[in-house]
Amino acid sequence: MVLRVEIDQDECLSTGKCVADHPVAFGFDADDLAIVLPGAADVGDESLKRAARLCPSGAIRLFGDDGSEIHVR
Amino acid sequence: MQTFTVTSYEMAKDCYRNKDLRQALYDAGEVIMADVLVNLHGDAHRNRRRLENRLFRRDTFMFYERELFPEIIADTLAPHLAAGRCELVGFSHQLMMNLAALTAGVDRPQGTPEETFRLYDYLTTFIEGATLAHYTGDRAAKAREIEEKLDLFDAEFLSPGIARRKALLARAAAGEVTDDDLPRDVLTILLRNEDNLELTHEMIRREVAFYLLAGAHTSATAFTRVMHNIFTWIASHPEDEERVRTDRSFVQRATHETIRMQPSSPIGMRWVLADTTLRGGMQLSPGDKLVIDLLQINRDPSVFGEDADSFNPHRELPEGVSPWGLSFGGGMHACIGQDLAAGVVSFDDQDQQQHLFGLVPVAVQAMFDNGCRPDPDDPPETDSSTTRPYFGRYPVIFGQS
Repeated sequence: MVLRVEIDQDECLSTGKCVADHPVAFGFDADDLAIVLPGAADVGDESLKRAARLCPSGAIRLFGDDGSEIHVR
Repeated sequence: MQTFTVTSYEMAKDCYRNKDLRQALYDAGEVIMADVLVNLHGDAHRNRRRLENRLFRRDTFMFYERELFPEIIADTLAPHLAAGRCELVGFSHQLMMNLAALTAGVDRPQGTPEETFRLYDYLTTFIEGATLAHYTGDRAAKAREIEEKLDLFDAEFLSPGIARRKALLARAAAGEVTDDDLPRDVLTILLRNEDNLELTHEMIRREVAFYLLAGAHTSATAFTRVMHNIFTWIASHPEDEERVRTDRSFVQRATHETIRMQPSSPIGMRWVLADTTLRGGMQLSPGDKLVIDLLQINRDPSVFGEDADSFNPHRELPEGVSPWGLSFGGGMHACIGQDLAAGVVSFDDQDQQQHLFGLVPVAVQAMFDNGCRPDPDDPPETDSSTTRPYFGRYPVIFGQS
């Protein structure tokens, strides 16, 4: 399965954990909130699941092939 | 209103992420904890945390761990090495205070031992304020003493620090200096956003005092406990004695294991704000109170293994279980200084050169590098002024045995 990842910026607390752990997949926007980078497609599902699990605010959301949300916590 | 106790790992994780549950742990410590980050809820919490999180990022921690902290350790340790002995509880609080003061934005312009001693005196009083619920003496009298110490701290340290930063911020606004010239500390961030966050002077005062006490006390307490647990471990596992000096990952695992077994706060507490049902089916109503029993949760054999009640720095855990259990909390209120104090867990797909071990493991290893061991003639004592399980004194000596 190839997961699709989104950031819910209303939830993002700007901890930067996802950016520090996976700098090719996540970055910051001008307001210092997390964004998904094009490289997210290359980091692998397990890394994305770990990033979602370690995000304190639950702002990283993952979706499967059929569009349904994958909950990893 | 009912009080419920949560003892399940999964249910506790659910509690920490539930937005209908509000912080309740520090209600008794309002004198110093009112309106500080960990006590805020909802939008007020999110807005302040987003700003303060900018200081608590991996690149800043890496700078602290590799550049700043080794020097602070060496300076703080030097007189004790010269004396050949040290008392760990006092030493660890001085050490961690030196770093917490930088993070919080508490300047010591005189740079004298007397000035540091006065700050240390304020710090120890503020710690009693944050843990007032567990204080065994006269709480009302202690609260008055804390208020008086806050005034003195404000006059000597905070207000001059605010004046210095406001002058710098004015120069930055005029284009005379750049952002790189501004201090990277909590106080500067608060002053830059004073209006947006609707902060009063008293709120800034409590927030800076909170960062000073939280940054120093939790790490200092963990430090002494890690030292004790490693002393005990290598006495029965001599094959690991050399690893304490040569393998920082081992010291980091010992730190995580200590924090799992002996969390800084043995419980979490939450007020219920709205009707909600937790994972597992527990139904809660507004006004109910939740006690999250971290001591029991962190020793659950179904999560941490059959020997969960024992200290084991070689413990193997399944993916998704933190080696420190839930001692750093979770969700939106997860400890902001967690990575700074205890580092991060290493994964195979990450750059090992960028691994962050945490300040507690770095400081612990520095002690063992200098032949630190318990003083055989002066055993450790517990702290009788609180119901929390703290050491009151822990004498050690240095050099080869």
